[in-house]
Amino acid sequence: MTDTAYHAPAQDTSERRGLAASVARPLQWLLKLLPGIALLLFWQWASGRLIKEIYVSKPTAVAQRLYELFASGEIYPHLWTTGQELVFGYVIGVAGGVIAGYALGRSPRLARIFEPYVMAFYGIPKIALAPLFIIWFGIGMGSKIALASIMVFFLVFYNVFAGVRSVDRELVNLTLIMGANQRQLTYHVFLPAAAPFVMLGMRLAIPYSVIGVIVGEFTSSAQGLGLFIHEASSTYDPAGVFAGIVILLAFVTIANVLAGRLERRLLRWRALSGAGPIDI
Amino acid sequence: MNDRALVFEGIGQDFPAPGQRSKVRVLDGISFDVGHGKFIAVIGPSGCGKSTLLQMAAGLLLPTRGAVHHRGRKITSINTEVGFVPQQAQLFPWKTLAENVELPLLLRGVAANERRERVAHALGSVGLKGFERHFPSQLSGGMQKRGSIARTLVYRPDIILMDEPFGALDAQTRMVMQSDLQTLSMEAGATVVFVTHDITEAVLLADHVIVLSQRPSRLLANIPIDLPRPRNMFEPFRNPGFDAAYDAVWTEFRSQIDTGRVH
Repeated sequence: MTDTAYHAPAQDTSERRGLAASVARPLQWLLKLLPGIALLLFWQWASGRLIKEIYVSKPTAVAQRLYELFASGEIYPHLWTTGQELVFGYVIGVAGGVIAGYALGRSPRLARIFEPYVMAFYGIPKIALAPLFIIWFGIGMGSKIALASIMVFFLVFYNVFAGVRSVDRELVNLTLIMGANQRQLTYHVFLPAAAPFVMLGMRLAIPYSVIGVIVGEFTSSAQGLGLFIHEASSTYDPAGVFAGIVILLAFVTIANVLAGRLERRLLRWRALSGAGPIDI
Repeated sequence: MNDRALVFEGIGQDFPAPGQRSKVRVLDGISFDVGHGKFIAVIGPSGCGKSTLLQMAAGLLLPTRGAVHHRGRKITSINTEVGFVPQQAQLFPWKTLAENVELPLLLRGVAANERRERVAHALGSVGLKGFERHFPSQLSGGMQKRGSIARTLVYRPDIILMDEPFGALDAQTRMVMQSDLQTLSMEAGATVVFVTHDITEAVLLADHVIVLSQRPSRLLANIPIDLPRPRNMFEPFRNPGFDAAYDAVWTEFRSQIDTGRVH
């Protein structure tokens, strides 16, 4: 059989790309770091010259403060509490969002009944619920986990819902003709088709889980990074505030890297084609 | 009864028209048989409901009137004994080519080593050996179509339904695919219902050409094509008797083209 096929760009181009990358990658990194370094330098310079240090602190002071916090162990209880709240809030929100989004996506009947309610609850600014959640779940971790998970839930829910509903009807029919039952249809068609949307929802939800937890801790708490930042700001300690923020930043960055890894593994087929939902 | 794989019996189909109370009648009293091991081409103007007939044979749609029988059994739900090759290749983008072709066997509970063998054989027969681990996005349109055909052949369905499978391919690829399809279906002794709007394609491939009219569609003619096989797909007019066969179909079909209605 003859064919007008082209070979996938496997070996030759990747070699060339590899060569280019060995030069380009450090350069890329340098370019990426440059604005950050410039900002830090400007901050350091401007502090005490353009703006009083008591308002904005300065990078060296923040670094000093971070070192002290970790060296003295003062920060660890806060870290541990906030870390747990983040992980639990995120996981519960994602799990709930995936399950609810999938169920409503698969069943038009359920969707017709519940979608208006979900839409209405989606419209509520979740931050406004923080005081209520404190009353309901106490000032411990429960209220923060609830707040974070409800924020995460809606983002994941809508993405999964849209993802499941976007599955090509013809592909589903074909799979049924091939002999699939409902369970097989879920495993071979709906879940992989929805995976890019699940990943997108999970990535978008990372900063929201942090917002939920921190707002909860700001409102009322006994321990946590939010409380630490809150106390630092009310005692005129900008270095402490920024130290807390740097730690949160580290949280978000680590979570993003992990999500990116998971995405590359789950969506290998998509990386090769470049098709799929648009990332924000 | 036994020599008929598929029987369409007085098929009528109405679809709700948007913004109107009355329904649009698409198919009107269509009856024809598909014999075992026969290649049937269905042609008709666009929008006449050719594909609807295939959906009924696959059990995806129940006709408003009449019934489709597969080996004497009335089709009332998804018919897993047929294979469907759609217009677009519709390979699963998240599966490699081999995984795509393997899926129907997996769904049907075929043992792992037999799956491997049959996948290798199916891919070999459509000329895709060596591309097992490619994802569909890494294959050309023609190769995706071959993959789609292999995915259908691999589970040896009783009837293969093809919905304008070569419509989206370029002219050269198309001729090659037609030629390969002829070889494959002759080797497998497959029963095929092939929907197209290309008269040449219909005449070259089919044992019988079913000609449908415009909406509401009626069966205009069921024309046997007795050209000897294998037929030359690359030079249609070199086939002895092709002119006469083409004329026979065209005479029926031309009346449906000149009417100037909006399709």
